[in-house]
Amino acid sequence: MDSDTILRGRGVSKQFRGLRALSDIEFDIPRGSICGLIGPNGAGKSTLFNLITGYYPLTSGTIEFNGARIDGLATTRISRIGIGRAFQIAKPFPDMTVYENVRVGALFGREGQRDVKEVVEQAMNLMGLSHLAQRKASSLTVGSLRKLEVARAVATRPELLLADEPCAGLNGTETAEMIECLRRVRDQGTTVWLVEHDMRAVMSISERVFVIDAGTKIAEGAPDVIVNDPRVIAAYLGAEPVA
Amino acid sequence: MRPLSLKPLLALVVGVAAVAVFTGLPAILPPFYIRVLQVFFFSAGLALSWGLLGGFAGYWSFGHTAFIGIGGFTAALVSSHLLGGGGTGWGMVVTVGAGGLVAALFALVLAYPLLRLRGIYFAIAMLGVGEVFSELSSSIDWIGGGLGLTLPAGTDLDIAPEVFYYYVFLVLMVAILLISAATKLSRFGYGLMSIREDEDTARMLGVPTERYKIQAFVLSAFLVGTLGAVYAYSLGYFSTPSLFRVDFSLNMIVHNMIGGIGTIAGPVIGAAIMVFLTNVVLGSFLSVHLLLTGALVVLIVLLAPTGLLGLAARLWQRDPPEEEPTSPTRERERRLTNEPAE
Amino acid sequence: MVALQTLIDGLILGGVFSLAAVGFSLIFGVLGIVNLTHGIFVVAGAYIALLLWSGLGLDPLVGIPVIMVVLFATGYVYQRTIIQWATERATVVASLLVTFGVALVMRNILQLIFSSDIRSISPSYSFVSFSLGDLRIDAVRVAGLTTSLVLLTVLTLFLSRTSFGRMIRATAQQPLAAGLSGINVPHVYGLTFALGAAFAGASGAVIGIVAPFSPATEAIWTLNAFVVVVLGGVGSPAGALLGGLLLGVINTMTAQYIGPSFTNATMFLVLVLMLLVRPQGLMGNAFGESR
Repeated sequence: MDSDTILRGRGVSKQFRGLRALSDIEFDIPRGSICGLIGPNGAGKSTLFNLITGYYPLTSGTIEFNGARIDGLATTRISRIGIGRAFQIAKPFPDMTVYENVRVGALFGREGQRDVKEVVEQAMNLMGLSHLAQRKASSLTVGSLRKLEVARAVATRPELLLADEPCAGLNGTETAEMIECLRRVRDQGTTVWLVEHDMRAVMSISERVFVIDAGTKIAEGAPDVIVNDPRVIAAYLGAEPVA
Repeated sequence: MRPLSLKPLLALVVGVAAVAVFTGLPAILPPFYIRVLQVFFFSAGLALSWGLLGGFAGYWSFGHTAFIGIGGFTAALVSSHLLGGGGTGWGMVVTVGAGGLVAALFALVLAYPLLRLRGIYFAIAMLGVGEVFSELSSSIDWIGGGLGLTLPAGTDLDIAPEVFYYYVFLVLMVAILLISAATKLSRFGYGLMSIREDEDTARMLGVPTERYKIQAFVLSAFLVGTLGAVYAYSLGYFSTPSLFRVDFSLNMIVHNMIGGIGTIAGPVIGAAIMVFLTNVVLGSFLSVHLLLTGALVVLIVLLAPTGLLGLAARLWQRDPPEEEPTSPTRERERRLTNEPAE
Repeated sequence: MVALQTLIDGLILGGVFSLAAVGFSLIFGVLGIVNLTHGIFVVAGAYIALLLWSGLGLDPLVGIPVIMVVLFATGYVYQRTIIQWATERATVVASLLVTFGVALVMRNILQLIFSSDIRSISPSYSFVSFSLGDLRIDAVRVAGLTTSLVLLTVLTLFLSRTSFGRMIRATAQQPLAAGLSGINVPHVYGLTFALGAAFAGASGAVIGIVAPFSPATEAIWTLNAFVVVVLGGVGSPAGALLGGLLLGVINTMTAQYIGPSFTNATMFLVLVLMLLVRPQGLMGNAFGESR
């Protein structure tokens, strides 16, 4: 069981001055899975990802990656041990080409031997970006920017990819495409944890879904269980109909 | 990815041809033009060194002249205190090397606190560093920048001084050019450029941002210190205002901006244009020198904010947006005015 | 006794520093621009005061309204043209360079018109001084300090009580929202810049009677303003006052106890330390986390 859990959180809490942003969040992410993280705006989803990647320190609790504590490590270090992150607001390097952007990921990221050129090409292929390789990132559409954001994270060769709303701002076709891409990332052996607003997208792809609201976890389980959970329905009351 | 382009080959051919021409030139040029070219090599070397930090990593120093001063003063102090006034021939290698190393050492000490500052704050703090070192060099008697210091001739070979320093600066510029090109293509260079583009994201991708910034700063200071030491030699006698010159700091930035920030050829092109303009074309209009330099700076920022290389690139290959363009400039603006990092 | 005299001298000098920096602070806070032309406004104010005094016999302090009007107009035009073009086209660091370029041009023009000679203005009360026990206080300095405090108070009231002041603050905090609610943002930027220039010019008149000036001193006034803002915080007259007084005291204390040639070194040491320890300044940013 233990070696099947890639990321484990226990009592993860974050307090900003007076505001309790997250309290006592527990999670176990199975290796090789795609998991979902949902919750209303401001529930603390991005904050949780920021804690995992060492962007802020935890107020209390522990996070383990592959059985070793990672809370308290520097952001750079976390990337090096194999946790990648695609941001909610796509942040490609604007003055670099698509190729160069992905290359930064391949040159850095997880420690270990690799053929940089091959990693870059694989990541671009995977996300369907090869035909845009020599484009400046600043000339891309929102859809391509999102793909680039994920491609660059994939190029860091993470064991675990935290994808923060990769479908935000995409239309139906693009969303389906992105979901397909994430599935391919998983099939390559990378565990994916996904924050997403589009319930249909999350439910279609995730094996396990975590729901947080106002900083606490209110539900966890398989997608079909989650959609029928009364607490989740209450939290989302008035939101778009589920599934 | 792309087929092996002709660009590196072309650069190599142009580079070798240029070095060959510059090596032969002193034989036929009058001394005035030899001196102008010497200033060009010096300025291009400075601009390239500044670019390692300012161009690649995006940390614009407004006070790099501090390292010119540190390099020059170190060379002179080593000469007078340790070499008994010597420092010719191999002695010059020692004093100049010491100048570069001491500049690098100061940079190492300054790096940790200063590189936590970003954008405008770093720029102004460096301006302050330049002022502080300048003032200390003239106020502390032991250093003696108020009265001035002397250095011996760099060589006892039978060669005119301007020709000697012409070659020394040529060699240094070529060396710095190669260092810059190697840096730009390396992992280190990619790391620096990702810091320039977005430091937080770079960190998230595993770039060791702190270490890289410090390394770039120290390398840049070492090269500027070395150039400063040679420059002090070429002056023979110098005092604080001859090395700690705000216009040196400014020129490093302006030359980069004119040519194209973050490029290799840009700083060299920028230095070539400005040195030619100010020394040859405007040489006889000294009273309006500032005015013309200032006006040129304004025109460049307004008309070619990405420098001449950027302008040329835009004219060569139109790169139309895929569809709706996003605006990276706004985003960058937000970052540059950011409060310093936590 | 020497310490007290030094402290008082520092506070008086600091009052002038505050006035000289408040425009810079306002422009930095509202437009987010480090205006390296600032020192030119200060020195230009001093030269206009000199012209009014030598041409019409007008006392520099009486001439302040004229100076402010001239610089207000100049500042507005300058912002709506060159500065606006630069910020539209390039980055904020580029606007730093543009203002630097303009400063070089203007310094050169001032040198051509007025020569590089060091000047000063000496009205009739220049050589009067009061004594309080062992303390000696010059009349000009008191006049300068009073003028500075009055003008800073006027600006504070203007920013907090008038609708135009509220407009400036709204624009500084949320330029987008301000634009959407009908504020003409470019116009407000222009007027804010003009206001900053006008106060810099006014300080020039005060500086004219208390200190020597030449075209080259513009650089010092720009740097001083920057240090004052870093010390006191961005955007508010109160921050400028606090930062200015501190800088004044640091200046006179350094000159007295370390040596007059170390004042700039100390000033920058304090600047760098302050940036590292409390980058938002002692009073914080008057316009909040707007940028």
